Amino acid sequence: MKKALRSFFSSIKLTVVLLIAMALLFMVGTFLPQREGAMEFAQRLSPGISGLFHALGLFDVYHSPLYYGLLGLLALNLTVCSLNRLPVSWKLYRTPHFPVPVGLFSKLPPNRVLLTEQNREGCLSSLENLLKENYGAIEKDVKGGHVFFSIRKAGLSLFSVYGVHLSILFMIAGSVIGSVLGFEGYVNISEGETTNLVASRNGGDIHRLDFSVRCDKFTLETYANGMPKTYRSDLTFLKGGQPVRQGALMVNHPIHVNGYRFYQSSFGSAPGGRAVLGYSTGKGQEEKVAVSVGDRFDLKEGGAHVEILRIEGNLMKFGPGVKLDIASPQGRHIQFWVLQHIDEIAEMYPELLTQFPLFDPALFKPYRFYLKEIEQQYYTGLQVVRDPGVPLVALGAFLMVAGLILRHFMPHRHIWVRVDEAGRQTRISLAGRSRHMAALDRELDLLGRRIQEKGIV
Amino acid sequence: MSHTLILSWVTFIYFGAFVLYLFRMILGGRSWGKLASLAAWAGFAAQTAAILWRWKVSYSLGIGHAPLSNLYESMIFFAWAIMLLHLFIEWRTGSRAFGVFVVPLAFLAMAYASIAPGVNNEIQPLIPALQSNWLTSHVVTCFMGYSGFAFAFGCGLMYFLKTADADKPENSNRFLKRLPTLASLDLMIYQSIALGFVFLTIGIMTGSIWAHYAWGSYWSWDPKETWSLITWIVYAVTLHVQYIKGWRGKRMAALTMVGFASVLFTYLGVNYLPGLHSYLN
Ligand code: HEM
Repeated sequence: MKKALRSFFSSIKLTVVLLIAMALLFMVGTFLPQREGAMEFAQRLSPGISGLFHALGLFDVYHSPLYYGLLGLLALNLTVCSLNRLPVSWKLYRTPHFPVPVGLFSKLPPNRVLLTEQNREGCLSSLENLLKENYGAIEKDVKGGHVFFSIRKAGLSLFSVYGVHLSILFMIAGSVIGSVLGFEGYVNISEGETTNLVASRNGGDIHRLDFSVRCDKFTLETYANGMPKTYRSDLTFLKGGQPVRQGALMVNHPIHVNGYRFYQSSFGSAPGGRAVLGYSTGKGQEEKVAVSVGDRFDLKEGGAHVEILRIEGNLMKFGPGVKLDIASPQGRHIQFWVLQHIDEIAEMYPELLTQFPLFDPALFKPYRFYLKEIEQQYYTGLQVVRDPGVPLVALGAFLMVAGLILRHFMPHRHIWVRVDEAGRQTRISLAGRSRHMAALDRELDLLGRRIQEKGIV
Repeated sequence: MSHTLILSWVTFIYFGAFVLYLFRMILGGRSWGKLASLAAWAGFAAQTAAILWRWKVSYSLGIGHAPLSNLYESMIFFAWAIMLLHLFIEWRTGSRAFGVFVVPLAFLAMAYASIAPGVNNEIQPLIPALQSNWLTSHVVTCFMGYSGFAFAFGCGLMYFLKTADADKPENSNRFLKRLPTLASLDLMIYQSIALGFVFLTIGIMTGSIWAHYAWGSYWSWDPKETWSLITWIVYAVTLHVQYIKGWRGKRMAALTMVGFASVLFTYLGVNYLPGLHSYLN
């Protein structure tokens, strides 16, 4: 019973079935809407089917019991299989150099047999030197009139597969740790503001950091064609009100603080900001004021009061605009917009000002207002992440790549060279063993060429 | 003249090389083969120059980046990687039989890049998320991997043709006779899949590292990520079924087709599903 279980869990057939099942599950995950998107889709299905999909977890396959089950079985499969095979690889690793495996030198292809007129002794000593020069440690054995040399290369590569397989366990463990202990949240911070509260992504409850973050400035740069070039937040991290760290956060350059990583995730324009207004009565002499929403100021002549109602970065696609409320000395209120690009707009829509006096910056005669510029105020959207599983996953990734490279580019090879006499000639035969036949062939070709170049044959 | 003009020429040269390889297989004779290789090398050299040129132009436009940032550029690089592998294997094995099946893949990639709708061949500046050296290594390694799988696919096709020959050796035609033996095709399939697998693995890893820096998570189950994992699994299965008795030959050749279909879906099909990677939006 125990034996049957063991052979079941160590079989490659099980591996293949598990891997195919996973691939199919992932395919479902890319074709069916998942999580947030699934609700609406589920309503369009018949209740029976949507209930079945729900029960199988197909609307959230990457967190479904089915997926975790497959992962668990794969991990078990890998563990049992590796434990089973380890002694085999160990035995291979420790295989003695001699005796030479049975049948190794029978049926050699012609290019693996080199013949020379040189006598055996001369041939042997130069061959031994050549092998020592090229391979370092070699073993020698004399048996029944034959001399054998044995060379082992990249013996450790026999264990590379275990690296590859173990790495998968590391990655599975790392990802589970990350999903259990990790945290992901988002926070928007306006320029100049400070906070230590982050809305968690799952469920949206509020998470309190033990330090706070201030956004000093957000900068958006664009290319000449309008595509975004840089999003950048200048952040200050504070502990007990004292700055402990400052940094510029950009996409692809997260900031790591106290086990949390901060990412530049989004941005927007915060309501408010400051604007520079100009106005004149048309008799030369222009005045300039810097204002924010809610500010009031008096017009020099005539005793009217101006109040700033709104400042917009892009009003109805007309660009920056400021909305004013002017109270005349008679107590009348006049409201209108001052758009920065009003001259160009009026040229494009000649009827605009007559149809919509609301956009006429000269509505309060005899004044005319100008919008010089607005200082956009932004908020930055930060993603805040803590994932204690990352080091384990990274270790797994490294191990997997190292294992694969070791296995495929530096495979284990064992080479034997036999020297004997064939009639009056001396005969050198080359043979070897490896899982990687092509690499072995290349190695033997190379050795053959070296022997010829040295003039041994 | 511009680099895009050179690239259109390269497309035709690759087609010419394919025709010459075909002549060599049908008519025999070493000179066809030599001409075919010459054309393949010439096209490859011109393509290399054009890619470097495009790279340089992007710097003189002030938006310098490696030409690997959109669908057009990646297609061109895919064709380049296929040719690189093809020429390497041709040089290594001394066999000119692969050209008929592999060079047309490079030609198709080039042709797709120039005529497919929605493919923009302008040099575009990089949005912030794409400004990363990890992304460059990610694209390079993934497409090296894909070229290994493309080569295996070519060998898979050859394998099926050759088995038709093996069934009735007495009246087989010369084309089929000139294909490599089944055993060497089998080995070649295994080796190119193994090579592709190593590169795809590194490609997925570098992609995850990029995602770790750019998106705040090394893995987000975005459809492209998920499909690259599916492709990776298909080839992991392919490497393992060899250890199950009897799973060589035809079944391996069939798996090269399944795997390559998955590669193509990962590369192109997924763009029609929503996600981070969709070049088309
Ligand atoms: C996602 C999961 C897995 C991956 C990515 C993986 C990867 C690999 C790779 C790359 C090789 C080398 C193949 C070659 O060079 O031809 C290999 C070999 C092998 N794998 Fe896996 N493997 C996985 C799971 C498993 C499992 C669960 C088992 C347990 C039965 C297993 C058993 C083996 C065996 C027996 C070999 C051959 C070892 C040798 O030749 O010395 N693999 N695996």
